[in-house]
Amino acid sequence: MKKEDFLSQLHRALGRMSESEKKEILYDYEEHFRMGAVEGKGEEEICRSLGSPRALGRSYAIESLPDRPEEGHGSATLALRAVLASVSLGFFNIVIVLGPFLGLVGVMIGLWAAAAAIALCGAAVVLAVPLWPMLPFLPGLSVLQGFFCFFTGTALAALGLLAVIGMWKLSLLFVRATVAYVKFNARIVAHRK
Amino acid sequence: MNIQFKKGVLELCVLVILCRKDTYGYELVQTISRNVDIAEGTVYPLLRRLMKEGYFTSYIQESAEGPARKYYQITEKGRKYQDVLREEWTRFTAGVNKLILTEETA
Repeated sequence: MKKEDFLSQLHRALGRMSESEKKEILYDYEEHFRMGAVEGKGEEEICRSLGSPRALGRSYAIESLPDRPEEGHGSATLALRAVLASVSLGFFNIVIVLGPFLGLVGVMIGLWAAAAAIALCGAAVVLAVPLWPMLPFLPGLSVLQGFFCFFTGTALAALGLLAVIGMWKLSLLFVRATVAYVKFNARIVAHRK
Repeated sequence: MNIQFKKGVLELCVLVILCRKDTYGYELVQTISRNVDIAEGTVYPLLRRLMKEGYFTSYIQESAEGPARKYYQITEKGRKYQDVLREEWTRFTAGVNKLILTEETA
């Protein structure tokens, strides 16, 4: 690495410091390079002994963190920023997120109904076999038909049950995703980084 | 070596050197790195922080041979802080050495 690379990487790593502060910090390293050159050291050698410019930049950034939040930005600015963030987020949510979200909720309800219907249908077919003789005005059920009804009903009920379990998992996922999204919103409103 | 530990020790090294005489950054870094294995760049953030805390001040001085140098000069506060750190260090190393040199009794 050459001197220029070192300095520019360091400059970048200093982040959101004031330009005058960055200049002061870079000055120390420029002097270091100059003195090293006087001693006949190459730029690469000096860079090696200095260490990673990114790590150095971070250690300045950490040390320059304001002790109190109002030192960096006025608390009024922070509050205004939070309000702006929530308003624009609200707009985004209503215009873009709300429609698809409601659509998804509709789909989930529909799928739940379908799964429940299949399960109930299967149960009804199974129950129909023992209940059949109690129903008047219907032709009798042959043994073969009875078996057929029983097994088809069991299969249907099992299928429906599986669908219900699947829907349960899907719903949990959906709820979790929604909660995560809401939390994400809250985080943005609290402070945008 | 543990980074936090090293940072604390570096602080002491810087203050000890500055208590002897005004020193410019490069010289300070070289004096330390001759004796202790460090990434030389890490001394500068430390210098800046200690200066902000008022342990020393700085001034720029032109030099006959080569570029201008930024000298650091210890303050009264820095001197007192150095005494405290030095005392802590002496007690700490004495304790550790005693621990290491004591023959195992268990």
